[in-house]
Amino acid sequence: MTKHQQGGASILTEEEKVSRSIAAMIRDKSREGLLVSMQGIWEESINQAPGADKGVVPEIDLQALLIVRMKEEDDLTAIRNQEGQPRYYSSRFMSENYAKILIRKEGDPLVLIAETVRESSSLASRPVPVAIFLASPFHLSQVEISACLQQMREDRRFQDIRQTATSIGTYFLYSALHLDPDRASMLSEWLDVGQHQNP
Amino acid sequence: MATFGGWAGKVLRVDLSTGRISTEDTLEKYKDVLGGTGLGYKVLWDEVKPGTKPYDSENKLIFGVGPLAGTGAPSNGRTAITTIYPTCWPKPLVATGHFGGDFACQLKYAGYDGIIIEGKADRPVWLSITDGKVEIKDARHLWGQGIRRTNLDIVQELGPTACVAAIGIAGENLVPMSTIINNVSHSAGGVGSVMGAKNLKAIAVRGSGYVRIAGDKAEWEKVIKHHLALLGSNNQHVVPNSPQPWAEFSHPGVRWVASKGRAWGAAQPPIDSGTCDPHDLNRIAYRTNNAAFYLGNIAWQYTVRGNGCTSCPIRCHTLLRVPYLPEKYGNGITENIQSTCVRLLFGRFFYKSFTDGFLGRTAFDACMVGVYLIDDLGIWDNYGQIQRDFIKIYHEGTIKDKIGEAEFKSYSWDKYAKSDPSFLFDLIPRIARKEGELATVLGKGTGALFGQWGLPEEEWKKDEGLGYWKMGHPQHHSSLEAYQLGAIINTQYNRDVQCHTHQNFLRNGLPIKEQKRLAKDLWGSEDAVDDIGMYTPMNLNKAKMTRWTLLRKELHDSLSLCNWMAPVVASPLKERGYSGDDTLESLLYSIATGEKMTREELDEVGERIFGLHRALTIRDMGTKEMRKEHDTFPDWVFKDRQGRAPFTPGTTHMEKNDLNLGMDMFYNLLGWDKATGSPTEETYKKLKLGYVAEEFEKKGLLP
Amino acid sequence: MNRGIEKDDPVEGALNRVQLNPSCSRRQFLKVSGVAVMGLTAFGALVNGAGGSTPLIIMDQAEGLVIGDPTKCVGCRRCELACTEFNDGKAWPELSRIKVTRNLAYGPKGNVLGQRGQGNFGQGLIVQDLCKQCPHPVPCADACPNDAIILDPKTKARVVDTEKCIGCMMCQRACPWEMMSFDPEAKKATKCFLCGGKPKCVEACPAGAIRYVDWRDLTRKIPPRVAPAVHASPAKAATCNDCHKK
Repeated sequence: MTKHQQGGASILTEEEKVSRSIAAMIRDKSREGLLVSMQGIWEESINQAPGADKGVVPEIDLQALLIVRMKEEDDLTAIRNQEGQPRYYSSRFMSENYAKILIRKEGDPLVLIAETVRESSSLASRPVPVAIFLASPFHLSQVEISACLQQMREDRRFQDIRQTATSIGTYFLYSALHLDPDRASMLSEWLDVGQHQNP
Repeated sequence: MATFGGWAGKVLRVDLSTGRISTEDTLEKYKDVLGGTGLGYKVLWDEVKPGTKPYDSENKLIFGVGPLAGTGAPSNGRTAITTIYPTCWPKPLVATGHFGGDFACQLKYAGYDGIIIEGKADRPVWLSITDGKVEIKDARHLWGQGIRRTNLDIVQELGPTACVAAIGIAGENLVPMSTIINNVSHSAGGVGSVMGAKNLKAIAVRGSGYVRIAGDKAEWEKVIKHHLALLGSNNQHVVPNSPQPWAEFSHPGVRWVASKGRAWGAAQPPIDSGTCDPHDLNRIAYRTNNAAFYLGNIAWQYTVRGNGCTSCPIRCHTLLRVPYLPEKYGNGITENIQSTCVRLLFGRFFYKSFTDGFLGRTAFDACMVGVYLIDDLGIWDNYGQIQRDFIKIYHEGTIKDKIGEAEFKSYSWDKYAKSDPSFLFDLIPRIARKEGELATVLGKGTGALFGQWGLPEEEWKKDEGLGYWKMGHPQHHSSLEAYQLGAIINTQYNRDVQCHTHQNFLRNGLPIKEQKRLAKDLWGSEDAVDDIGMYTPMNLNKAKMTRWTLLRKELHDSLSLCNWMAPVVASPLKERGYSGDDTLESLLYSIATGEKMTREELDEVGERIFGLHRALTIRDMGTKEMRKEHDTFPDWVFKDRQGRAPFTPGTTHMEKNDLNLGMDMFYNLLGWDKATGSPTEETYKKLKLGYVAEEFEKKGLLP
Repeated sequence: MNRGIEKDDPVEGALNRVQLNPSCSRRQFLKVSGVAVMGLTAFGALVNGAGGSTPLIIMDQAEGLVIGDPTKCVGCRRCELACTEFNDGKAWPELSRIKVTRNLAYGPKGNVLGQRGQGNFGQGLIVQDLCKQCPHPVPCADACPNDAIILDPKTKARVVDTEKCIGCMMCQRACPWEMMSFDPEAKKATKCFLCGGKPKCVEACPAGAIRYVDWRDLTRKIPPRVAPAVHASPAKAATCNDCHKK
């Protein structure tokens, strides 16, 4: 808590008010599965600052405010996107892994798919059904996914990303850096067919 | 005699031959084996002679529940029904069917821990239990009726709070592949015809009493809340199946299917399942939707809500409303269909493929038709074996060979060839009515394909795809997913092992790294569990996990805790390192009954019950050579369909020496003789089964 | 005219100290902790059974109410188990003060409609029956000959005073929703008392189908289950005149 002279005490209180509401907003958004950008923080501060109802734009150093708040409350976390811009979330309500997915969603979908597949292949030893990218939180369309997979085949950066199909025609993706084709095929088959034959 | 909480205190005995109704003191006679399967095994041991056949009036049907049934302990709704089992081939032996619903709690509230049904009535009867009043009543107006009509008729008499457990015409017609069902969709497999053979159409229970919690009620509340806080979804899966904000991990194969945008579409108005943070205990019921899990996303729009057993927050049954069914399929099919798991899949499993896939409309319809038929006719599936057998004998032309031309022509095979679900209306009722050769043989179970049609059992034992294990029953969560542990446990019973202790953990969705870390605490080393398709040679910790798996299954079936939800050894809570609490069973038992037991002490009781099952099997087989003659593996267990060697990536097939080592370790941990696989005299005595040792001494059945 | 109430009687003293309804000048009534002690009636000779004391009439509203959403109820009955296990140490749905079991299989109308009813065997809805914490006149309290239904000091829930209850179950016959429970061992009635403001059923529901909300009057919104067979005792009914008669 920064110390101010008595004369500045009332300003501190207002800043504190804004700062707390930002923290609450970040937490609320995290619960909903959303990251908060500086834009979002700016908008919140405008709404909460004194004189907001009179259209007064606050003179508050938001960056400094955030830094202070994040030091005090360790669940508030920053993560940077591909352009280096920060996004904020609360680790109390959002996991780092989920935040990573959201951050990747802002950038190149090829990277989104590839990194998800690589992580699953290495950390969990699992191929990934292509269909997950249609669902939350990825929300890619079938057309987008097909286009991405096509591009990946031709892009040197993504040569480790391979496809395998199960006996009932479901496609899975895996990273050859972490899973060999045989194992990936077996795991996909088990997940897609075997588990359902052994309910 | 100290008074305990938990138990109701009385076991009801009903002799249908004489009409005599009596009670016995549960704690005096059965406390050592708790209840449930323990009670069943004890009664069979004491009262049913080896060689007794399933439909003999000397066979007994024992409905057993445990001290936790009827309490607020999460998921205590299951009843064990133990008997000499009709589908066990070639020689019927002890086995248990189980069902959930609300029979278990009603029985406790009526004042009973179990019902022993003996003898045979000379005409159709039903048993009415309303608290202390027990009557054998005339069921001639019910005989020939479906299970749903039977329920309504009895409820007209006893009121809508009565729980009715009934057989359908399959059970009446002594079809071995038949069930007893309560509360619409809760079915016990393989035991329907034993009830039918006794001319017993239904048991209805209505209880207005209570189960006393012996311990401090505030402490009990704390333990219950602690238990609830550790719960995952159905099968104690602890990660969601798609990324959720709160979740570190997700796994597409788990039963935790809740997510924003997935709604109970037929609730009026729809209810979004939402993100279901595990800390929100008021949303546990939304985590699971087994209709969606098994039938695909098509099921969400038809989901009204979850359903299931009394006391369970999970709701593993799904109630669906499918408005087009009556018009599309007729035959009295209802819009409302509810079921779970393999019962839900009954219809679909009959077909080799569908043009619109296993998660498409046609497969969905087949499931609806299937459930509608089997839960009114009271037909069993034997964990999908009847369907796998049917597909094989159809496609290989065996059916055409074995049944007469007239009968063959009477089936609408063109519908079956097109995977038309309405074919099921042609086949399934005939199985219930024993109409024709095909239906009769299918209704007898896989053993009849060998015994009656002379098909070679070896062929089944060589084919992994058929899923057959031995004695007329299939594998169930075996070496295909749990390697040596899975193989070993599948040898131990006289029907499919019906055990989920291990499988709940192995499929819970946590990455293998986390599972190994938890395994270290639970069974001594990370080596106890293998990554999928990366199994390693046998070791002692795997044997420990194997022993734990089976003891806990018997414990759950005797305490009344659902083996699909317990043990709770992993949790969705990152702050706990995803650990659960392996002492929950003993905590719940200690407070409810007032008898303090540690985890190890209660596990010993589980070992006693498991030992008694072993003893019964030895006695009724008339041999101590269990290793050679009972604990067998089918050939396919050792054969990789792609020719991969054991212990190489991708394979799940076992190596004989390694598996034998596993059996050695397993027997050793249990105190069973290595050569024969029979418990030693010392072990029987240690398990307080000295009376078994005595009898076996005389019979030469001690190793 | 005073009926056996002496000048230095505490009730008379209180009556003089507090004037809550100036229009009832001679027939004054006193609000003591939300109950009205009716002492000045025309039917002076009629006394309720409890030793000459005056009938208790509950006036205050409860603060909160437990409400249920049948479209979310999944039929697990954990509410009934929590109500009885955590309050009474017994798993006893029959005694539960939230009532679900009776509607579980065929709905509130019971089995008469067969598959066309509600519940698990019918169309699927499971209705949770809940105490409405009725406003004045409170049927169960007014039917009680012993003034054994009183107010919980914290939540103003209507609660059975087990010391005064004689187990006659007149309250049960008076409740249009059949919400009273009876403990046959203790021979006492019991009813929903809102668990001190943190209802255990609400906490226990895994589907969020029950909520604790601000009190509002549901007595004319939810159809009765039965026509009550018993109403306020004559002594209590007579006291209506003290406030309502002009």
